[in-house]
Amino acid sequence: MIGTVAKQEWRLLKADRTLAAVVVLMAAMVGYSLYNGSSWVAFQRQTLGAAETEQAERKGKLLKTLKGIEEGRIEVKGTQDPRSAASIGGNSSAPYLAMPPAPLATLAVGQSDLYPYYFKLNLRSKQAILANDEIENPTNLLAGRFDLAFVLVYLFPLVALALGYNLISSEREQGTLALAMSQPLTMREMVTGKIVLRGGLLLGLVVLFTFAGALLTGVDLGSSTVWLRLGLWVSLMALYTGFWFGLAVLVNSYQTSSATNALTLAGAWLGLVLVLPSVANLVATSMYPVPSRVEMVQAMRVAGKEAQSKGSMLLAKYMEDHPELMPAGEKPAADFTTLSYAVQMEVDKKVEPVLKRFDEQVEKQQAFVEGFKYLSPAILAQTAINDLAGTSLGRYQHFSRQVDGFFDAWKGYFLPKVFAKTKLGSGEVAGLPVYQFREETDGDILGRVGVVLAGMLVLSGAVLWVGYIRLRRVSIS
Amino acid sequence: MISQIAKKEMLEMRRDGRFQVASAIVLGLLLVSLGIGWQQYVSVNRQHEMARAETREQWLSQGKKNPHSAAHYGVYAFKPKSPLSLVDRGADQYTGVAVWLEAHKQNEFKYKPARDANTLARFGDLTASSVLQLLVPLLIILMSFSSFAGERESGTLRLLLSMGIAREKLALGKALGVAGGLGMLLVPAALIGSAALVLASDSGSFVANLPRLGWMTASYLLYFAAFVGISLTVSALAKSARLALVCLLGFWIFNGLAAPRLFSDVSRTVHRTPSSFAFSQRMDGELKKGFDGEALKKKVMAQYGVTSMEALPVNFLGISLKAGEDHGNEVYDKLYSELWDTFEAQNRLQQQGGVVAPLMAMRSVSMGLSGTDFAQFRDFSVAAEKYRRVLNDAMNDDLKNSPKTEGPYMADEKLWSKVPEFAYVMPEVNVVLGQQAWSLGLLVLWALGATGMAGWAATRRLRAE
Repeated sequence: MIGTVAKQEWRLLKADRTLAAVVVLMAAMVGYSLYNGSSWVAFQRQTLGAAETEQAERKGKLLKTLKGIEEGRIEVKGTQDPRSAASIGGNSSAPYLAMPPAPLATLAVGQSDLYPYYFKLNLRSKQAILANDEIENPTNLLAGRFDLAFVLVYLFPLVALALGYNLISSEREQGTLALAMSQPLTMREMVTGKIVLRGGLLLGLVVLFTFAGALLTGVDLGSSTVWLRLGLWVSLMALYTGFWFGLAVLVNSYQTSSATNALTLAGAWLGLVLVLPSVANLVATSMYPVPSRVEMVQAMRVAGKEAQSKGSMLLAKYMEDHPELMPAGEKPAADFTTLSYAVQMEVDKKVEPVLKRFDEQVEKQQAFVEGFKYLSPAILAQTAINDLAGTSLGRYQHFSRQVDGFFDAWKGYFLPKVFAKTKLGSGEVAGLPVYQFREETDGDILGRVGVVLAGMLVLSGAVLWVGYIRLRRVSIS
Repeated sequence: MISQIAKKEMLEMRRDGRFQVASAIVLGLLLVSLGIGWQQYVSVNRQHEMARAETREQWLSQGKKNPHSAAHYGVYAFKPKSPLSLVDRGADQYTGVAVWLEAHKQNEFKYKPARDANTLARFGDLTASSVLQLLVPLLIILMSFSSFAGERESGTLRLLLSMGIAREKLALGKALGVAGGLGMLLVPAALIGSAALVLASDSGSFVANLPRLGWMTASYLLYFAAFVGISLTVSALAKSARLALVCLLGFWIFNGLAAPRLFSDVSRTVHRTPSSFAFSQRMDGELKKGFDGEALKKKVMAQYGVTSMEALPVNFLGISLKAGEDHGNEVYDKLYSELWDTFEAQNRLQQQGGVVAPLMAMRSVSMGLSGTDFAQFRDFSVAAEKYRRVLNDAMNDDLKNSPKTEGPYMADEKLWSKVPEFAYVMPEVNVVLGQQAWSLGLLVLWALGATGMAGWAATRRLRAE
C-alpha cells in the first residue's frame, strides 16, 4: 500500500512543475557551492606548494653554503655565521608545518578560513608562530562562504519543508482525504508513502549532485577513508531529512490549514537554524567569558620586561644549570643572540600560566557549547559536516598539538646548541627531522561524528515518533 | 478614513496570537542583544582604557636604555571600541585587537576575537543589528503579506472598494497600519537602545555619537519602509495570500542569507586577495632591496662638509637607522595600501550588491555608522602606524644628536616623555557618510521605489478578485 501511495505521489510530482524546480534549484546550489569550496581548497594547495618550494630552495642554498665552507671554498665573513645553530634552526632550515586540506575539504569551508593551515617554525615563542594567519577581508569573514555546508544546513531544510508542509492538509483542502481514507489505507501508510517518496527524492538528488560535483572537482574516491566519510555524510543527511519531514508530519497532525502549516514550519526553521544557535552562543559567551587578549598581551609584556632587565643573570643561571653547554674555555658569553634566547625562555615560562588560563576558559566555553548542539539539528549537522570535511575545530586542535610537539623537539635540539655555540655541518642539516602531518584516524572521525549521528537519530526519531502517534487522532473531515 | 483603515489593521494584528508571539520574541531578542552589547562594550572598553594607560606607563618607566633599544621595546596600540558597537559589532570580531608598534616593522593586528570564539559563533552573532536587519523585515512580511491578497480571498476587498473608498487612501491606510504595528515594537527598543548608549558613554562621547545615531535611525527606517513597500506591492499583485507569502519569504532568504555570501564570493573573485605567503614573500623581497649605505654616507658627509666619517658632528647610526625606517615605510605604505585598497574595492562591490539586496546596503551603513567596519579599522591602523613613525623618528633623532663617546649611549625618561601619548579620534560622521554614499543612496532608492511601487500596485493593479 505504501508503494502505491509513493507511485501516485511520483505521478503527481511529475505532472507538477515542483519537481523540475527542485531539481534545478538543488543542482544550481550544490554545483555552485562545490565550485566555491574547491576553489578555496585549490588556493590552499597552491599556497602550500609555494611554501614547500621556498623551503626546499632555502635548504638547498644552505646545504651548498655549508658544503662550500667545509671544503674550504667559501670563507665565513661578518657577524652572521651560516653554521650557527640560531641561524639554521631559526631561519635558514626552519620548515613550514602544514596541514593539507582533507580529501573532502570541498564540502565545507568550516573554520578553515579562520585558523591557519600552516606555520613557519622558528626558535622563538610559540605565540609568534601561532598568531600567523591567512590574509582575509574581515567583511568577508563576517559573511561566511557559500559552501555546501551552508546549502545543506540552511537552505536544504527549506526545500524539505516546501515539499512537506501540506502532506495531509492539501488532501483535506482538495477534498481527496476522505476519498483516500475510504480505500484500504491507513493515515500512517499514506503519510509514510508520501514522505518516503518526497524525502527520498530530495535526499537522492542531493547525494547524486554532491557525488557528481565531488568527482568533477577532483575528490579522490580511491581510498577507504573517503568512502567512510561519504557514508557517514549520507547517513547524516538521511537523518537530517528525516528530522524536517518528521517536523512536517508533526505540524500536519494538528490539522491546521496549509498556510498555517507553512508559517509554523517557517517559524520552526527560523528558530532552530538561525535564532537558537546565536542565543546559545550568547549564553555561552556570557557564562564563560573568555579573558581578554588585551590582558594577555599586558601580562606577556610585563614578563618580558622583567626578564629583559635580568637577562645576563638568566643566562648565567642557565649555564650554571647546564655546565655541559659552556663553550670550551669561555666565560658565559653574553652576546646578543644567546642573551635574547635566555630571556625568551624566561618569558615563555612566565607567560605559560596566563596562556593556560586563557586556553582553559576557551575550552570550558567550548565544552559548554558541546551540550547545546543537541538542541538543534542544524548545529549537529554543521558540526558533523565540518568534521567530515576536515575543517572542524577538532582537526585544528589535532594539528596544533602536532605543531606543539614538533616545535618542542625542534627547540630541544637547537637551543642547547645555541647556548653551547655549536656549529652545524651539512650532514647534520641534511639529517634534520622533516614534519609530516598525521591525518586524524578513521576512529577519531567515527567517534566524533558517531555521537552527532546518535544525537540526530534521537531528535529525528523523537519528532517522527510523536508525529506518528498523533496521526492516529487525525480526523478525515 | 485612512486612520480608520490603519486602526483596523493594527487591531487585527493585536488580535492575531501569532503576530503577538512573533513581536514579543523579536522585541525580547532586541532587548537582550542590546543589553549584552552594552555589557560587552563597557567591559572591553574598560580593559582597553586600562591597557592603554599601562602601555604608556611601561614606555615611560622602561629605565635607562639606548634609544634604539627603546624603539625595539615599542608600545602596543589597542583598537578602541566605539559606543555604537553595542548596536552593531560589524567586523570587530574578525579584526585583530592589538598591534605592536616597534622599530623597523609594521606589524599586523593580532588576536581576532573570532579565533577564540566557540564553534557556534559562525552561525552569527545575536546583536541588535542582526535583529533589525533580519528579523524585523520578516515581521513586516508577516504583518503585511495578506493586506490586500487576504482581503481579496475573503471577499472583503470587493466590499471595501464598492463603498467608494479611494484606493490611494486604502493603500496609505494599510501602510500606516503596518508602520503603527512596527512602531509599537521599535519605539520602546529605540528608547532603550539610546538609554544604553547614554549609560555606555561619558557625556562628551554621547554627544559626539548623536549624529551617528541619528543617521543610523534614519537609515534603518528607510530599510523598513522598503520592506513595507515590497510586501504591500507583492500582496496587491499576487493571486493569493499564499503566493504572496512564498514570494516574500523567497526574497527575504535571498536578501538575508544568500546575498551576503554570494556578494562576498563575487567580490573576492573580481578583486583577488593575495595569500599571506605571497604577500610576505613580496614584502621580504622589497625590504631586502634596502637602501644604498655607501651613497648615504657620501651624502651625509657632503651635507656636513666633512671628508671622513669620523669628522661628522653627528652620530651616523641615527641617520642610517632613520634611512632604514624611511625605506621600510615606503615598502609598507605601498604594499599595505594595495592590500587594503583591494579590501575596500571588495567592500564597495558588496555595497553595490544593495541594488538587488537592500541588506547589503543596510549592513554597510550600519557597520559604518557604528564604527565597526573595515574602513574605520583601516583608519585606526593608519593612525597607529603614523604614531609608530613619530616614535621611531624621535628615537633616531636623539641617537643622531647623541655624543660620540666610547661605550653605549643611554637615554632616559626625559626622552621617553618627549614622545606624545598615542591618541586616536574616530572619523567624523561626514567621513563615514562619504564612504557610505552608495549604500545610503541605494537605501533611499529602495524606500522610494518600493513605496512608490506599492502605491502604483494598489491604485492601478489592484483587482477585486
